[in-house]
Amino acid sequence: MTTLGQLVLSGIFIGAIYALMSIGLTLIFGVLRIVNFAHGEFLMLGMYGAWAMTRLLGLNPYLAMIAVVPAMFLFGGLVYRLIVSPALDKPHLVVVFATMGLSIFMQNAALMLMSADLFDIPPVFGHAVTIGPLYFKAELVVGFVITVICTLVLQWALKSTYLGKAIRATVQDREAAMLMGIPVPRIFLITFAGGSALVGLAACVMMPLFSVFPTVGLNFVLIAFVIVVLGGMGSISGALIGGICVGIVQSLSSYYVAPAFGQMFFFILFLLVMIFRPNGLLGQKGAADIGIAD
Amino acid sequence: MHYWLKLLVGVLAATMFAAAGFAQTPIRIGVLLPLTGPFAKNGIENWEAMKIARDMINERGGINGRKIEYLEGDATSPAAAISETERLITKEGIKITTGSFASPLAIAVSQAAERHGVFHWETTGAAEIITRRGFKHTFQVGAPARKYGQAAVDFIIDDLAKRLNKPVSSLRIALLWENRAFGKSVGDGIRAYTGKKGIKLVYDEGYDQFSTDMTPIVQKLKDSKPDIVIAISFPNDAILFQRKAKELNFNVSAFIGVSAGYSSPDLRASIGNMVNGIFVADFPPKVNPNVLKPEVRKIADEFYKRYEKKMGRPPAGHATAGFSAIWALFTDVLPKAKTFEPDELRDIALKLDLPEGSLVNGSGIKFTNFDWPDNPKDAGQNLRASIGVWQWTKGGNEEVFPPKLATHEPIMVPLPSWDKR
Repeated sequence: MTTLGQLVLSGIFIGAIYALMSIGLTLIFGVLRIVNFAHGEFLMLGMYGAWAMTRLLGLNPYLAMIAVVPAMFLFGGLVYRLIVSPALDKPHLVVVFATMGLSIFMQNAALMLMSADLFDIPPVFGHAVTIGPLYFKAELVVGFVITVICTLVLQWALKSTYLGKAIRATVQDREAAMLMGIPVPRIFLITFAGGSALVGLAACVMMPLFSVFPTVGLNFVLIAFVIVVLGGMGSISGALIGGICVGIVQSLSSYYVAPAFGQMFFFILFLLVMIFRPNGLLGQKGAADIGIAD
Repeated sequence: MHYWLKLLVGVLAATMFAAAGFAQTPIRIGVLLPLTGPFAKNGIENWEAMKIARDMINERGGINGRKIEYLEGDATSPAAAISETERLITKEGIKITTGSFASPLAIAVSQAAERHGVFHWETTGAAEIITRRGFKHTFQVGAPARKYGQAAVDFIIDDLAKRLNKPVSSLRIALLWENRAFGKSVGDGIRAYTGKKGIKLVYDEGYDQFSTDMTPIVQKLKDSKPDIVIAISFPNDAILFQRKAKELNFNVSAFIGVSAGYSSPDLRASIGNMVNGIFVADFPPKVNPNVLKPEVRKIADEFYKRYEKKMGRPPAGHATAGFSAIWALFTDVLPKAKTFEPDELRDIALKLDLPEGSLVNGSGIKFTNFDWPDNPKDAGQNLRASIGVWQWTKGGNEEVFPPKLATHEPIMVPLPSWDKR
């Protein structure tokens, strides 16, 4: 029972962190209907940023958000202007290759600048959180809390703010939104930059838990893609639930079946969802065409 | 006037031709290493060690007056390794290749080299299959995978059991391996060897080295209550594992990592003093100088000095192995060559009979040639490659096993629990 509790709760906590790094991807997909294949490298960049803030400036990694999140927002905006926006009205493959090229470029630029060394920051909290006989890294619990807050705030912002409404209108019908005076290209820019900022946030949460190195994104990006599709493409609360599902499935199957099969089982889950709920857990019909779901 | 001019031109041309003929052309060697991509970390360390060897030999006047020139190929993945090897062979006319750090890359490079009849001098690749495909021109200087595991198990039987005051038969030993070429190969070797020695493993599982969550693995290990864990990991997963072990308060009497991740200098940079006390079965980064021949000792000193100066830290075992192997090529194979054709180099390599202590890392050289009783399919494997166990200590690392190579006694046995480390 203790073991089961440990596994399920660890799965939930780590799953929430997977969700946090996927929200940016789902947001960009939902609004722009493009897949950013450099998403993992954005995470890598954010993690280097968080590392630099912590190690070089001595900031607490959670405080590093103050600098990393806006910096990633600007970086996202720049990438949108230089790479994504020119490719938007071209055939879909152009964006795929543009972002994929960016991913390879960023990996190798990081390799040149930072070398292949693994970088870490010291733990933020000295002790693990104990719940009865269960142990959890405090950083993991903090990551979970930040994810939940972030999801709620985003949901609220999309529902209630003017910008949120404009984003949702753009999703529902680009032309109609444009006719209503919504500056669609600017909405795209803000969404792409905002999605990148969210990856920056995830990077700051992940830096105390993982090492950063040029190809760190590859370890996470596949999980992020699965979560985005699982949760319903473009759905933010779907991403949270999808992330937690992946975390739990990975944790339980690794323990009870074999660690080598952890990934296999979340892909089985993925296939099952695709067969029985092709639009994802919380996605609406035709989400891939319509975009953001809630 | 015309006549003189012609003569002058003629003389000048003749001199230039003669000069070109006399100036020794360099010996060109293709170095295939992962310089970018996921293996780049170790690949670059190996590359630096190889460059130090090249500089050292060239400063000594080269080989019979000919300098060494490297042509690098970026073997990021097995596919890239093949295309880069073919590029160096077909476009640059390379006849000698070396490298390639990781087993999957070594398998690929040697295959491409063999196809073109090129001489491949493998420095660090360890998978057994490298020398078991009937290849004629592949020579693996480093120890094969099974020896890593055997070193770990021998260390338990001959040393740790006594220190822990338990008979080997009652020790609970767990085996955790990453499930790619290297980890699986070493894991298989350990399973076979412990079986032969009558030791039962209480845990034996493979995992994906790109796992992002180690909770289930550590939890399951914890439930199996081992005294000793033998783990085969890469750097990132080794770090995640150790952190998770601390988080879940998973304590063992001794922890033995096998090569790769546990020998990486990153481990200390990442987990700090948590690393102290961990044992590593690996190529020795540094051996007791008493086992080295006196002239090798000098070379070793110079290598360590140059490497530390360049990289700011002492070399890991694989970098020392890379240096040792290429230095042996420079001093024991190439000087005896006349044509530098692969067949000639093969004959020279097969005749090598260097006792242990001839290479910087304590190895000797004696290659198999389809004549080894244990496996008659094996050719080009070095039966005298040194392997041992070293330990992370406060000050760096110390070779602890076998006693002959050891620079220090094992310490921190049993390993203190996490709250006391």
